[in-house]
Amino acid sequence: MTDIVQLLILGILLGGVYGVMATGLTLVYGVMGVVNLAHAVVMVAAAYMAFFMWQDWGVDPFVSMIATIPVFFAVGMGLYYVFFQRIAGSARFGEMTVLLSFGLALVIEGVLGFAFTGIYHTANPGYATKTFDIGSVIVPKGQLYAFVASVVLLAALGAILYFTRVGYAIRATMQNATAAQIVGVNVNRVSAVAFGIGTAMAGAAGSLMSYLFTFFPGAHWQFIALLLALTVVGGLGSLRGALVGAIGLSVAAAFVTDLAGPNWSYLTFYLALFVVLLVRPQGLFGRKVSV
Amino acid sequence: MSGQSTSVENGVLSARRHRSVSPVAEDLTAKQRWTRRLLPPGILVICLVIPMLGPVIGSYTYWLQILTTVFMWVALASSWNIIGGFTGYVSLGHNVFMAIGGYLSAGIFVYYGVSPFITAIGAGLVCVAVGLVVGLIMLRTDGDAFIIATIALLLIARILFDNWTLLGGSNGLSLPLLSFADPDLIPVPFYYAMLVCAVGAVLLGYWVRHSKFGLGLRAIAEDEVRAEVAGVNTRLLKVAAFGVSGFFTGIVGAMWGYSLSYVRPENFLTITIAAQIVLMAVIGGKGTVLGPIVGAVLIVAFNEAAVSKFGSSELNLAVTGVFLVVALLFFPQGIVGTLRERRRLPRALDWG
Repeated sequence: MTDIVQLLILGILLGGVYGVMATGLTLVYGVMGVVNLAHAVVMVAAAYMAFFMWQDWGVDPFVSMIATIPVFFAVGMGLYYVFFQRIAGSARFGEMTVLLSFGLALVIEGVLGFAFTGIYHTANPGYATKTFDIGSVIVPKGQLYAFVASVVLLAALGAILYFTRVGYAIRATMQNATAAQIVGVNVNRVSAVAFGIGTAMAGAAGSLMSYLFTFFPGAHWQFIALLLALTVVGGLGSLRGALVGAIGLSVAAAFVTDLAGPNWSYLTFYLALFVVLLVRPQGLFGRKVSV
Repeated sequence: MSGQSTSVENGVLSARRHRSVSPVAEDLTAKQRWTRRLLPPGILVICLVIPMLGPVIGSYTYWLQILTTVFMWVALASSWNIIGGFTGYVSLGHNVFMAIGGYLSAGIFVYYGVSPFITAIGAGLVCVAVGLVVGLIMLRTDGDAFIIATIALLLIARILFDNWTLLGGSNGLSLPLLSFADPDLIPVPFYYAMLVCAVGAVLLGYWVRHSKFGLGLRAIAEDEVRAEVAGVNTRLLKVAAFGVSGFFTGIVGAMWGYSLSYVRPENFLTITIAAQIVLMAVIGGKGTVLGPIVGAVLIVAFNEAAVSKFGSSELNLAVTGVFLVVALLFFPQGIVGTLRERRRLPRALDWG
């Protein structure tokens, strides 16, 4: 019994962090139909930033979000204006975005690898290795804090989307870009802002990642696959779906790890992705994945 | 296919454009016809003779190695082109076929002692079978969902091979090297094997491009719904294309594993290899017969030059990405496609 509670807790805590990572990805897809394969490598870049802020200046990873969020908001807007705006309306847009972001991911990974080599990094603030023990259940402090931060970030995202004008515009564009354009939404600018917000979420997630995971430039492939799994299972473009997918799959992976060993935990995500793509391509909460 | 859309308004214009898209033999002058007929066999003969020039060329092994690499990538990119180019279903997990071919031949070699040179064709056929089964499942998706599914396929395969103890897990299998009296001769059989793969894959691509099968595939790439309505059995064709594209990919995998003398998941199942295949086809011109050859030659030459000049570094990966991005943004048709569109492609090289 305690085993099950323990696994549930671990799964949910990590699921919250995955939720932050996945909402950024799904937001960008929802607004513009861009499957951004560079999302996770941006996260890794943010993790490097947070790591060096911690190592060189002693800035706590949570505090470093003050820097990573705005910086990566700007990065996201930049990526949109320089690259994705150009291919809007091109034939086979979905495929173009995948290939383009794939290329961008290679560029960023290569530059990160050149700058920081392939050595594994991880920040080690004091709480990263401490735990709260409640009876026989162990709650890792670092993961608990990360979960709390994730809830705050997600609440902030929700507040922006549901209570601000930009948020209304973003949601309108997600529902129907053409209709939004007709009623006077500047879809191009809204897309840029949404790309910025999505990438800023990746930046914030990078700060958390800097001490939760050991990371290296090539680590992002595993993460992007995981995030695609979460978002596709939940339904690409659906924020609710991303959260449900994140927590659900994270809990499932915790159980698989317990039963079959850590080697197989990622298989949970990929198999779920595979099965959902084949059985219900629009995902649990989504409208439709492809055009 | 802009030629076709104008055909209603202006038949003459359309006819002329159409000719420039796929020149038929009668349109060529006698000289062009001869160039076209002699060029490919000429190149082939040169390629066949090169290994015999050992005593003549300096740094002979080096050049043999590079050409072998070029042939390998030509075969891979041309095979990918059948599903990714002609059909328009971009696969980012095509190296799974390589891994299956490589591991199958290596496993048989290690456990039963049969040389990969003999089992390679069998490995290719197994890959076709796997491609048909997997394709039947995967091609239920399309567009970006298909791409994501292929990435998932790659990662699933990686986990399976990493944990498959019979096949050595992440350490893989070691294969005994070929033994010759003269060690300089060891690369030669691989050279010819890869040459056969490259020629075979290009011929296969040529045949697909000019067959009814290929016509159906290109109809799918144009507009799948319309193709379906017009009576094309899209599902059958897509799955067939996926399977066929696995054939030479599997053979190349078998040969490559043997030439390395080991097979490991990290040699086959990395996203970088998938990226290289896609990159070559996209840069050269996906959906053209010549494109993958051009792309493979250029990228291998570039990699070689970059490595010898700056050493092997992570920046090569970044440059690969830059090439891909630039190609997609500025000439999505690739070199061959763009040249053809501007009518700058020599007719002798316009293979469709």
